[in-house]
Amino acid sequence: MFQMQDVSKVFRTEMVETHALRDLSLEVKEGEFVAVTGPSGSGKTTFLNIAGLLEELTGGVYKLDGVDVKALDDNARSKLRNEKIGFVFQSFNLIPDLNLFDNVDVPLRYRGFGRAERRKRIESALERVGLASRVKHYPAELSGGQQQRVAIARAIAGDPKLLLADEPTGNLDSQMAREVMQLLEELNASGTIVIIVTHDPEIAARAQRNVHIVDGVATDLERGPALVKPKAAEAKAS
Amino acid sequence: MHFMPILSTLRRHRTAAALIVLEIALTCAIVCNAVFLIRDRLSRMDRPSGVAENELLRVQLTGIGERADAQAITEQDLAALRTIPGVKSAISINMIPFGGSSWNSSISTKPDDRDAPVNAGMYMATGDIVETLGLKLVAGRNFNSDEYVPFDDVQSETKGIAAVIVTSATAEKLYPGQSPLGKPVYVMGSTPPVIVGVVDHIVRPNDANGIDQRPYSMILPVTVPFNMGGNYLLRVAPDRKQEILAQVDAKLDGVDPRRIILERQTFAQVRAKYFEQDQAMARLLLGVSIALLVITALGVVGLASFWVQQRTRQIGVRRALGATKRDIRRYFQLENFILATMGIIVGMALAYGVNMWLMDTYGVDRLSAMYLPIGAGLLWALGQIAVLGPAVRASSIPPAVATRSV
Repeated sequence: MFQMQDVSKVFRTEMVETHALRDLSLEVKEGEFVAVTGPSGSGKTTFLNIAGLLEELTGGVYKLDGVDVKALDDNARSKLRNEKIGFVFQSFNLIPDLNLFDNVDVPLRYRGFGRAERRKRIESALERVGLASRVKHYPAELSGGQQQRVAIARAIAGDPKLLLADEPTGNLDSQMAREVMQLLEELNASGTIVIIVTHDPEIAARAQRNVHIVDGVATDLERGPALVKPKAAEAKAS
Repeated sequence: MHFMPILSTLRRHRTAAALIVLEIALTCAIVCNAVFLIRDRLSRMDRPSGVAENELLRVQLTGIGERADAQAITEQDLAALRTIPGVKSAISINMIPFGGSSWNSSISTKPDDRDAPVNAGMYMATGDIVETLGLKLVAGRNFNSDEYVPFDDVQSETKGIAAVIVTSATAEKLYPGQSPLGKPVYVMGSTPPVIVGVVDHIVRPNDANGIDQRPYSMILPVTVPFNMGGNYLLRVAPDRKQEILAQVDAKLDGVDPRRIILERQTFAQVRAKYFEQDQAMARLLLGVSIALLVITALGVVGLASFWVQQRTRQIGVRRALGATKRDIRRYFQLENFILATMGIIVGMALAYGVNMWLMDTYGVDRLSAMYLPIGAGLLWALGQIAVLGPAVRASSIPPAVATRSV
């Protein structure tokens, strides 16, 4: 489902060349829950941006659900992002001028679903995160935890195969953080790949796999630098 | 389409949205009326004169002191002018189309008619008006030479006018649906002349009696000297106008140097002079309209640019959620279209309000409904053009903005 092979990302300016990621290889199968950790500036966000097709990679191969993303133009990347990936951001990134219904509706409109289909998906997603009764509310009327649940509803409304979460509990208190993590675990249990970028060791400990990035180099904390095979595949091989 | 979410967003930014809607509405109202007034002025300026404009030259002159021999000098002047190579004919005429000053008289089919059906411009000339002005005779005949009488004799009622030529519009007013030929009209004096001919059209010299009265004219076989109206009209070869004008002074001075020649003009110059205020007004209105449109466009650019800047992260989030560059561009274009449409709807109502005020205050015509779609189309197009730059800038915001920390 998710394969990165020797992926690198270099940011170039006139004066400086920064290697944000170096030869990162990672394979994640359906149903896995992966935590990506590392200090600030280590390359975690760059990894997330490349995994989420928000930035282009400089070198290597990245295949998402069998599609080599490097060959795609901007439109095709947008389409693939819309269909396959759900995002949960640290600062929620809800659109303040839209109510919850319209916020969850945003990716579905870009998907081209009809009105009835969109309504069904929005109601189902908000039901799943426990906010079905608040569709007409605006983000500013919700707590941080509730806003993050709306963001999760928006991420899952399109049934993505991959859910990328960037410090999803970073702006929440511990109680709300636990609720959000529980929600992400439920989604993972239903088959969605969850890759979560976090500073929090407690959150990372709840993931099946831990990938640590330092200076753009990724290391599987259980298996060393060569991060290629997922646990399930490795288990089968052995 | 993101129609409803955009409306929802605009509701939450109603002050900025209302201001731009108001700006568009005011522009729509003013531009619709301005375009209407410009069109009105242009149509006034385009009105036909009925004369062979491209072949006419006008010489305006005045004598110094009273001249007992004015008619004789006039005859000599005309004879001298006709000797200039390229001059086909020349007349002395009391007034000219678009000349400004006019001679007018009520004209009726009954004597002493206080409710005369028409008031008409009254052309009189020494020489053949029909031939010199290139008028199109549509019925009857031109004057016979024995029908001409001097103006002084008519005024002193020692001689009467036997014949008159009228325009077809005047004829229709006097004898609707009938042939006017041979029928009497009461115009000057108690003896009615008979209509001997009908010309297609000769416009009146001015709009003093109202713009709708301009086709009502008549021609009387009354000779006028140069000091009565002070106009010589020359019908000339079109390609020799300047050459002829250059010789006029010498010819007239050769007859009698005690005159002041005020103007030597082509008919195009006569027309331009007459309509110079209309032209200035049309230019002023055009300038104001263009300025308003530019200001509105700048307003649209300013607001759209501000919103793009303010929504940078939101745009990144939309891109991250699957919006293509085209989706982002179209979002801003649709938003502008909605604002422009609101402005146009309010502006159309305002346009009629402004028009009613103009009708009451300045007596302009009712605004034709055709100017509303023209104004709407113009503002829609202007809005789309103005928003294109900010929209393209918005579409170039990368999706990775969504993951950047604020």
